[in-house]
Amino acid sequence: MAQQHGIIVLIDVDNALQERTLDGNAYWFDNMKFLGSTGEGTGGLVTIVPGAYFLDGSQATEQVLNWLPASLGAVPPTVPRNYLAEQALQTDRDALAHLAAVGAGDEAEVGRIKEEVGVRAKQSRSAKGIPTAKILDATGHVAGSDAADTYNYPTPVITDITGPAVEQKIMYPAQYGSPDMIYDGWYWAATVDTSRPGIYSYTMHIQLHELVEREDGLVWQPVDLTCTSALEVMTDPKRNAFTGAGLGVLPLPEFPPVP
Amino acid sequence: MKPKVNIVVMVDAVGALSDRTLHQGNLALVDDSPYGSRNPGTPELVTTVLPGQVVQWTAIHVDVQTPVEIHQITFLGPGEPEHAPPVTRPDPGYAAVPAYAAASGVLLAEPETASQTAAPPSALASNGLENHDLLVWEGIVPFTMAPGVPYRYRLSIKIHEGPNSLLHVDTPALLRV
Repeated sequence: MAQQHGIIVLIDVDNALQERTLDGNAYWFDNMKFLGSTGEGTGGLVTIVPGAYFLDGSQATEQVLNWLPASLGAVPPTVPRNYLAEQALQTDRDALAHLAAVGAGDEAEVGRIKEEVGVRAKQSRSAKGIPTAKILDATGHVAGSDAADTYNYPTPVITDITGPAVEQKIMYPAQYGSPDMIYDGWYWAATVDTSRPGIYSYTMHIQLHELVEREDGLVWQPVDLTCTSALEVMTDPKRNAFTGAGLGVLPLPEFPPVP
Repeated sequence: MKPKVNIVVMVDAVGALSDRTLHQGNLALVDDSPYGSRNPGTPELVTTVLPGQVVQWTAIHVDVQTPVEIHQITFLGPGEPEHAPPVTRPDPGYAAVPAYAAASGVLLAEPETASQTAAPPSALASNGLENHDLLVWEGIVPFTMAPGVPYRYRLSIKIHEGPNSLLHVDTPALLRV
């Protein structure tokens, strides 16, 4: 069995939201270059899927793909997911402590505490995967009055995988539960039918989140965009490693080795 | 007689590459021979076999996304070079001299100096790149195998590709009971 593939989809969220497209703002990367993937680090990744079949024609490998989304300029995905929630809680506690100590009529100090508390954004009902209401910047600190400029983009969320590779039943993607909270406890994976070689494209549906100022305050507004990649499926016959063809006798030395 | 004996090669790829050795717990060999194999779970596994049985080696990567494949299995002869089995290619992979050869005191064949005549099994896939997943490592135990003598073999493991991707152990063996 060959190893599973990891495919990273890195999104330049800031540019993608401005241009309202993932063309030129998505960077794909997989770990299969040594077996023939092309376009690593670009928007034109073609992931190799090296299949194998037995001499009777039956499929000999099941290739598994795993997709992981990432956001440029965000808190790195290696930081535990609850870091942001903890930071938000901590800033509330700090502000409460400072508020208790503030003198009557000290407007400057109250203003400073307001800054310390930061701002909260509501979550639009269709938005997925927002970890905390409080708006934090990419270093995990409270984004102050300039929140809309410095805030940390939530990790892009994959909402669906479609396209020819799915419609033609080349791969069977699904969202699975995961103990890894980095991706909110969910991830997308697929198995691939390697019996039909060829290049098959697929479309990834990605939800970004934009901080929008409305009458009732800041709101995380979901923005759904798509980008495409492709699988190059190939398949080769399995063969015996000792003989290069079928089953044979083990190549033991002519004379027994001296123990 | 059990028609087939499986030897599973479990590799901690990241550990092996970091330590540059398959020892230190980075490799575990286990088999399902019913005749009582020695040292299961270690690179020193001695698998008991009978002539006519099919032995199959399968590599399992502990970390599911690391590419780990068997690169070569070569049976080692006695110390004399003229009896040493042909070795398919020099192994540039390991950086450290394996300590087990000195520790055990056993004079092992020096495969690097042996004749390099036999061609390696081609792992070329249809796109021209090596795909060792295509190779099935199995063979029949010959009736010419002498009983009671461990036939050591060099198990060469390929992890991804590149100059440091090859690692091997000379410690496992087959033993005809």
